[in-house]
Amino acid sequence: MHEKDEEIRSIDEINEKIKRGDAVVLTAEEMIKLAESSGLEVAAKEVDVVTSGTFGAMCSSGVFLNFGHSDPPIKMTRCWLNDVPVYKGLAAVDGYLGASSMSETKGFDYGGGHVIEDLVSGREVVLRAESYGTDCYPRRHIETMITIDDLNQAVLVNPRNCYQKYDAATNSSDRVLYTYMGTLLPNYGNITFSGAGQLNPLCKDPNYETIGFGTRILLGGGVGYIIGEGTQHNPTSGFGTLMVKGDLKQMSRRYLRGASFHRYGTTLYVGIGIPIPIINMRVARTAALKDDEIYVDIRDYGVAVRPDLRPVVKRVSYAELRSGKVTIGDRDIPSSSLSSYKIAREIAETLKKWILEGTFFLTKPIEPLPKHGKPKPLKVKGRELKVGDIMSRNVITAKPNDDIKEVASKLVEKGIDHLPVVNEEGKLAGIVTSWDLARAIAQDKRRLEEIMTRKVITAFENESIDVVVRRMAQHNISGVPVVDRMNHVIGILTTDDVSRKIIGGRTAQ
Amino acid sequence: MRVKLIYSHSVVEKPILASIVLKTGIPINILEARINAQKGELIVSIPASGEKLEEILNLFREAGVKVQEFIETLRIDWEKCIACGACISPCPTRALRFREDWTLEFIEEKCVACGICVAACPVKAINMP
Repeated sequence: MHEKDEEIRSIDEINEKIKRGDAVVLTAEEMIKLAESSGLEVAAKEVDVVTSGTFGAMCSSGVFLNFGHSDPPIKMTRCWLNDVPVYKGLAAVDGYLGASSMSETKGFDYGGGHVIEDLVSGREVVLRAESYGTDCYPRRHIETMITIDDLNQAVLVNPRNCYQKYDAATNSSDRVLYTYMGTLLPNYGNITFSGAGQLNPLCKDPNYETIGFGTRILLGGGVGYIIGEGTQHNPTSGFGTLMVKGDLKQMSRRYLRGASFHRYGTTLYVGIGIPIPIINMRVARTAALKDDEIYVDIRDYGVAVRPDLRPVVKRVSYAELRSGKVTIGDRDIPSSSLSSYKIAREIAETLKKWILEGTFFLTKPIEPLPKHGKPKPLKVKGRELKVGDIMSRNVITAKPNDDIKEVASKLVEKGIDHLPVVNEEGKLAGIVTSWDLARAIAQDKRRLEEIMTRKVITAFENESIDVVVRRMAQHNISGVPVVDRMNHVIGILTTDDVSRKIIGGRTAQ
Repeated sequence: MRVKLIYSHSVVEKPILASIVLKTGIPINILEARINAQKGELIVSIPASGEKLEEILNLFREAGVKVQEFIETLRIDWEKCIACGACISPCPTRALRFREDWTLEFIEEKCVACGICVAACPVKAINMP
């Protein structure tokens, strides 16, 4: 047996010590300090349990609700809490309210996460439901006020929480992006990141030796359990996730908060604390891991591609991210977190207190978490429309020194609104629209180069129509020249092409 | 010192602010401006205090500009704030930062009331009055 595998203490022994009131419990920050001052061997010998904590936005969260039966009863087929849709593909008065379900009246400002916060705070919530009426459930409509106490069950079941760590975000594009990683300023203006790093539960046991199915945890301020690996669990790349459950009625608003990311949507901030029993040297070592030993990539959200394909700008430690600035090239770029380190710390302290008071005992996992595997991307079967499928290839262009009046008559003759301007080598130099020309003629301008827009928004032939349509809307323009990698104009795509040639997601015949 | 300057119809076309900058040598920074031919409102930051500040404010008053002092920039609801940090790195003037204990600190003197933090806050704890 390898020395690191040798058991220092068992979970049963730890629970005996908790019962007697002489267990040694440290938060992850305290463990780091002790390992630094006294060495890891001493720390491993002295410490029974290390407590971790995190408090961050976790969109894959929600609550199973049982409303109880009214008289006459209803088989709720559609249901809302404070105008937020509740999933009703369950039995008559069961529902699931997801954190990112958004209000039909308040949109981005209020969603499932906020309803969960309102419920946990004891506030009244409007329950509204509809049905088609059945012989056994004749009622077709109900509207009433409820609080959490009126519910038979309110069970938080979160399919994916507690990411081991998470890649940081920045933005190379020329405009502000509002993302689930917060506000990202243009031209690498800032960096945002998530996760508590050295306090993060799965970072403290990245080999999943003590954390597994059945592990008792602190969830939202109450007691909860790990019920499996989370969706998109990615142990191969060190991005493990957890599926957790707990009784909402035990939880508190302090560790469960509704939130909304501007122009992205609503979510729930969830507080989770997991005890790490120091069963061997390997676990002691990982429980003492510091921010400067935990690395993630900074990814560029300015490129609208699949999350795992977003370009990596730099690999960086949580210590550097948390310092408030990250050096990229010759620039210091401000960085800040989206999850609360302060509350993560408080959660680790709370869990420590529970264990010391003898009210929280440790559990041995009944099954380990998967240690290998990574999520697959979604393959889109069938061919999807690309810019090249609907752009006009007979593109009419002009030269920078062309006469404005001649160009204007050409536009009228051909009935077009957008005219890319190309230089001698056929490369894109600018663009003029019929509106630019009308104004130029009114102002008595002569040559195209005096009036053309030089910073041209373009598209590539193989780009998705959705991406380019969004780009046109963001820049408030109605057409883009399509260029090849050498910036030669090979076509033009206008909103007219899009509306005429696409009907209901298919190309028109 | 942050003040609001209200220009009436009769003075809106005069280069009052520029003249005062030239006369006093104090670089007054315009944070926000809403001006048309009828009237105008400027929010400015004047890097001066005491007598010098009073002198500048009087120059505005003498020129027919109404002066409102102490413009509040942001209002942070500390009960709502979860100290996540989402407002910190988007702030262009570093007016928001963490304290040693990871609570949020707002440095009002640095704030130019651009409002980017209002949108960045996930729990709507920041408002502009």
